Amino acid sequence: MEPLTETKWDAVISGTGLKHSLLALALSRSNKKILHVDQNKYYGDAEAAFSLQEVDEWVEKVGGETPEHFRNASLWKTTSESSNESEKLSFSRAYTLTLSPQIIYTRSKLLSQLVTSKVYRQLEFQAVGNWWILAENTLNRLPNGREDIFQDKTIDNRSKRGLMKFLKFVVDYENQTELWQPHVDSSLAGFLSSQFQFPTNLQNVICALTLSLETPEATKVNWSLPRISRHLTSIGVFGPGFGAVLPKWGGGADISQVACRAGAVGGGIYILGTGVRESTPSSEDTDGLTQVHLTNEDVVKTRHLIQPLQTQSTNAKVVSKIIAVVSSSLTSLFKNTVEGSPLAAVSVIVFPVGTVDVEGASQNTPIYIMAHSNETGECPPGQCVLYATMLQSERSHELLDVAVDAFLATLEDKPSLLYKLYYEQQAEAESSETSLDLAFNDSILDDVESMWRIVMGEEADQAMFMRFEDREGMNNDDDEIDEGY
Amino acid sequence: MASDESIPTLKILMIGPSGAGKSALLIRYVDDQFDSESSTATIGVDFKMKKLSVHGKAYRLNLLDTAGQERFRTLSNSYYRGAHGIILVYDISNRDSFLAMERWFEEVESNAQPGAVTYLVGAKMDKNAQRTVKLEEGQRMAEERGCVGFCEVSSKTRENVRKPFVEIVDAVVKKPELLSDGARRTGTVGIGGGQGGYDGCSC
Repeated sequence: MEPLTETKWDAVISGTGLKHSLLALALSRSNKKILHVDQNKYYGDAEAAFSLQEVDEWVEKVGGETPEHFRNASLWKTTSESSNESEKLSFSRAYTLTLSPQIIYTRSKLLSQLVTSKVYRQLEFQAVGNWWILAENTLNRLPNGREDIFQDKTIDNRSKRGLMKFLKFVVDYENQTELWQPHVDSSLAGFLSSQFQFPTNLQNVICALTLSLETPEATKVNWSLPRISRHLTSIGVFGPGFGAVLPKWGGGADISQVACRAGAVGGGIYILGTGVRESTPSSEDTDGLTQVHLTNEDVVKTRHLIQPLQTQSTNAKVVSKIIAVVSSSLTSLFKNTVEGSPLAAVSVIVFPVGTVDVEGASQNTPIYIMAHSNETGECPPGQCVLYATMLQSERSHELLDVAVDAFLATLEDKPSLLYKLYYEQQAEAESSETSLDLAFNDSILDDVESMWRIVMGEEADQAMFMRFEDREGMNNDDDEIDEGY
Repeated sequence: MASDESIPTLKILMIGPSGAGKSALLIRYVDDQFDSESSTATIGVDFKMKKLSVHGKAYRLNLLDTAGQERFRTLSNSYYRGAHGIILVYDISNRDSFLAMERWFEEVESNAQPGAVTYLVGAKMDKNAQRTVKLEEGQRMAEERGCVGFCEVSSKTRENVRKPFVEIVDAVVKKPELLSDGARRTGTVGIGGGQGGYDGCSC
């Protein structure tokens, strides 16, 4: 086998996060020589998924010196030795806790690219079903379409008419520019109030559909409309009753592993636990190749070096997150409400501004909890994993704690907390916050495509981007049965 | 004969150090081809399908190759996920490849689902003159590690190439708990439109 240092690489890709893994997938049939490294000993980078033991190691690392997107990680575990299996933590590998629980809307280009690139067969997708809003210590299901709205007794008739009018508008917003263009930079709250006479509670409901981390007042109209439209038009695309999916076994983390394997099948070389220390730009001495010094002391030569964006700006947005394991399968949360719909594995719980508070601080921005059932493969039967997120503030840690407790208190079986990981995550840049988005942001795919263009150079043919033939097509003797015994 | 859809699929992995002969064995078994010149790492083989019947019942084998990710030991969790059986391959003419098996068994233990069976294979038995691993050593390791079987094979001469596959499948199908677990697929959603919902393997 050719030593790494003697190969003229077409691209050295640093980091196996979702974006760079998708790049490896995009290049997997290009015959380019690809070296894909990650300084971590695991796949996924900022989108990795961990066993409990791996979380322990990760928390240590986050506490260390390395400047990263993550900070202030802390961990709490139950000491319960209950005889009831669901009331205590199982073994480390029974859990796959993910840093990337982003839901993927069914209309996302990511899904169509996973299909045309054929890797979707190695993934299992599960439905993101019911959406809930917490108000006055009760969970109310968010109406999931017109019929639901008519039957919803919590919405008065005047609001119902307004809501129907709004929904009709928003799925066709692109053709009704006259209605919203004058309000492009206005707040969603103001727009809904002035144009559709929505009371605050309905503004909150609509804002929740955008998964905005900001208040409805700080959420812009031009940002919101495409997202609300996406939410509504995604329902029913792959079956009744759901508009988004999540890959089993850790969401984005599983996509990145499958994409990296596709890269390897295409001849890409993978090294984990090895990062890029520094690089020397191409010069006449190096045949126009960039010299890359790896942390394993190897120096490799490459035409292109693809590195992750380093967080430079301290102004980039920061969120607080809690990953919690609870002692219940939360059956009521996931049950089917639409005939023929698949059993949801993920449910979204929204806490509008002011739903919870702690002494001396109120909740000034929304909180979202994504509840994952054990069908996601992330925890053992009888337990669920909660992913709670809000914008970081002085008291956000406490507020998230209270929100998780408030949510559990609404449930009949009063589940207990078994495990709680708190951490903060900073956006990759001030201008780019895709890593904090609670839904997979398709602009990531635009980045993947432009990196792919750079590596492909003149060979880049957009029609071929992420479009591959089945590999197993080479197997023609599938009909022949080998008689074993 | 049963229709394709009703045939249970078994996911069988090949693992072991680079150059041990994993791909040669796979390609000899599935395609009955052997390239004595080829010593390069495998490119372009994701997995191979093969139907095999044991005790009169047909199974579809989904045989996964490492795609070179064994070179720096970077096989992912998702590679191991749902595997019913794992065939570990070393080269009888390369003692280091045999000594490396300990670490590969450890990797199986920490990644494969509980109950997945293992099978040890000593490849390149045609290279008897250069042999550095005795048959008995392989046998002993297989026993110590609780493998369901062991044999030496030659992809070059075809000797024993079917044996590991037939025997590992026979061992897998004797463990109904392995099969039923894999078949459980609650709430999975098909995204591969136009082909009638989910069309992946049921492993």
